[in-house]
Amino acid sequence: MKRLLTNPWLTIRVQIALGAIFVIAAWPKIADPPSFAHMIYNYRLVPSSLINISSLVMPWVEMLAGLALILGVWKTAARNVIITLLAVFIVAISINLMRDNAIDCGCFNVADRGKSHEQRIFDMKVDVLRDLGMLVLGAQLVYARKREENEG
Amino acid sequence: MNRKTIVQTTAIIVVGIILALVANAFASRDRKLALVGSYPNALTLPPHENAVLHSQAVTATSPPASTMTPSVTTAAPTQTSASSTTATATTTQPTATAAIETVGLNPAAKNPPAKTPSSLPPATASTPPPHPPLPTPPDDDPIKRFPSHPDKPYVEIAFADVNWLHGKKVLFLDARRTSVYEQGHISGARPYSVWESDIDDKVRKLFDERGDPQSQSLPIVIYCSGGDCEDSHMLAQKLWGIQFNDIYVYKDGFPDWQQHGGPIHTGANP
Repeated sequence: MKRLLTNPWLTIRVQIALGAIFVIAAWPKIADPPSFAHMIYNYRLVPSSLINISSLVMPWVEMLAGLALILGVWKTAARNVIITLLAVFIVAISINLMRDNAIDCGCFNVADRGKSHEQRIFDMKVDVLRDLGMLVLGAQLVYARKREENEG
Repeated sequence: MNRKTIVQTTAIIVVGIILALVANAFASRDRKLALVGSYPNALTLPPHENAVLHSQAVTATSPPASTMTPSVTTAAPTQTSASSTTATATTTQPTATAAIETVGLNPAAKNPPAKTPSSLPPATASTPPPHPPLPTPPDDDPIKRFPSHPDKPYVEIAFADVNWLHGKKVLFLDARRTSVYEQGHISGARPYSVWESDIDDKVRKLFDERGDPQSQSLPIVIYCSGGDCEDSHMLAQKLWGIQFNDIYVYKDGFPDWQQHGGPIHTGANP
């Protein structure tokens, strides 16, 4: 099982998949920063003065980390950035789920889709599960890297 | 984490910041962001869904605007939550009275006075004295029918009042994104998206245009997409902050206007 989980064939594919997801997720945010700023505002967790700068910088960091994973450069740093971002997203969505503040997560789409409260809450739960799934992919990369270091 | 990883992680973040700033510098007007925004309720949760639904239910089951006081929701930048009052029916007062009660002239329907930001001069810091109800139906003058309300940033109104004000050619501002505005907006409305970088310039321009106290007391109607859209409220607070004190938010917004068949214009011009 351990050998299967740390198989280089699997690790490379996980790395590319995770990188591709982040590049795809970053693009709409880079293309339309005001809409992403609106999404961040809706979370009601970021102070007013930091909303715009976060909405400008975060997508580019996502994009660079995703590209680094796809290209196989600075893999450890890129993986750490992605795991940190995933943890932040999970915490932010979970806090709003607990507060019953229904929001669009703004993960892959920054357009307001006019969903109902119930739809949004359901989607937020799905988003948390999806992010946890991606976190598992990130954990696989960490595990494979550790094993590689121990063996090498 | 070793030193090399820390340096690489820092490099990713720094390059990200540089790319973000360069991209923003070259972005088109409607995609550019001011580096530091101003969003008064950034850390305040919106009113709970149930409260909104209750308010909507009251509006939906109430008589037409010509015979009732519309529901009112106001919020000041310094308040931690919006307060709301439910509709009160009346069989004798026309729409005008409804609007007057809406702006806080009716003691029974008033909200707690909003706190005035420190940036505002003392002129707006005090709550205006309650006016007695008008003995006769108010006349056709928008200023008399929708008097200024310096104690609160905005007053929410419904289609009937919005339509009346539109007929009187008062200023309409569309707080939605410019791209959405261009797809269709209330005829005559100007684009004033609070999420775009030129909003402060536009607000300044409006202040230059209507800087004198008399013009600042002219009604302005702001709308966005209705529902839980807060952009119109945010813009209202911005304008209230520079002493525009007769602002009305069309609560149900553009979808409601469309539904009622109000005049719509497409394209970049009002």
